[in-house]
Amino acid sequence: MIGCFGLFLNRKNMILILMCIEIILLAANINFVSASVFLNDINGQVFSIFILTIAAAEAAIGLAILVIYFRNKGEIDVTQINQLKD
Amino acid sequence: MFLLGTFYLFASFLVMTCISVIFSKNPVNSVLFLVLAFLNSTFLFILIGAEFVGIILAIVYIGAVAILFLFVVMMLDIQITSLMVNMKRYVPLALLFAGVILAEIIYLTVFKTTKSNIDVIVRSENNTEQIGNVLYTDYFIDFQLSGIVLLLAMIGAIVLTHVYRPTIKRQNIDKQNTTFSKDRVKLINTKAGEGIQSHD
Repeated sequence: MIGCFGLFLNRKNMILILMCIEIILLAANINFVSASVFLNDINGQVFSIFILTIAAAEAAIGLAILVIYFRNKGEIDVTQINQLKD
Repeated sequence: MFLLGTFYLFASFLVMTCISVIFSKNPVNSVLFLVLAFLNSTFLFILIGAEFVGIILAIVYIGAVAILFLFVVMMLDIQITSLMVNMKRYVPLALLFAGVILAEIIYLTVFKTTKSNIDVIVRSENNTEQIGNVLYTDYFIDFQLSGIVLLLAMIGAIVLTHVYRPTIKRQNIDKQNTTFSKDRVKLINTKAGEGIQSHD
């Protein structure tokens, strides 16, 4: 029931994609923790802490890439990000 | 009954804030809604009995990640109108993916869910102690590895965003170590009333 909002990734623009990834990881966290409570198994909560760590690292790296992309291009539009290979 | 009502309150609020994150026009509003969503999920975690993860979620997400997002959003100075252009092109594809995921969730929750008949064992130790007992013994290697991942993320972010400016004067330690004091410092014996004569 709570995991329903994992489906809101579906935007093709800008910084919102990163926020959507955060929301999806939060949904995964909620699923892990609720399953861990209902199954009475603490491993789920430990794994949820690991997910939290990875989410923080991912946010830092993603925002750093976003900042240098903005510095080079002056805009953030994912539709033109395929020019990154040049 | 009170707990169930609170759960539904927070859960519906969480879903609504997540929708607001996606559909708000201003990115700053979007980040603030994200903070609200994290806060709601923290309440949910505390409600369900996982206090430690809830508080850690509040500290890490609201305290660090959301503020990072806020800084970047305000620093980048995005034009609000240009973000909404040609969004309509992607709506059918997005609806397709969202429908597939929603169908999976409905299928799993309606048809595949079995009532769990595991008895809830009331433990004497609290939630934080349980997590600590497992985290520092069974998952010790993983714990260290996640620390390394965080270190790598920090180094990576600094390296990516660092700008090299050649005009800034820096400390050159090798050059400092290879010079001698007689090359740099000169002892001048001044006599009274004559001042210092420049010999260069």
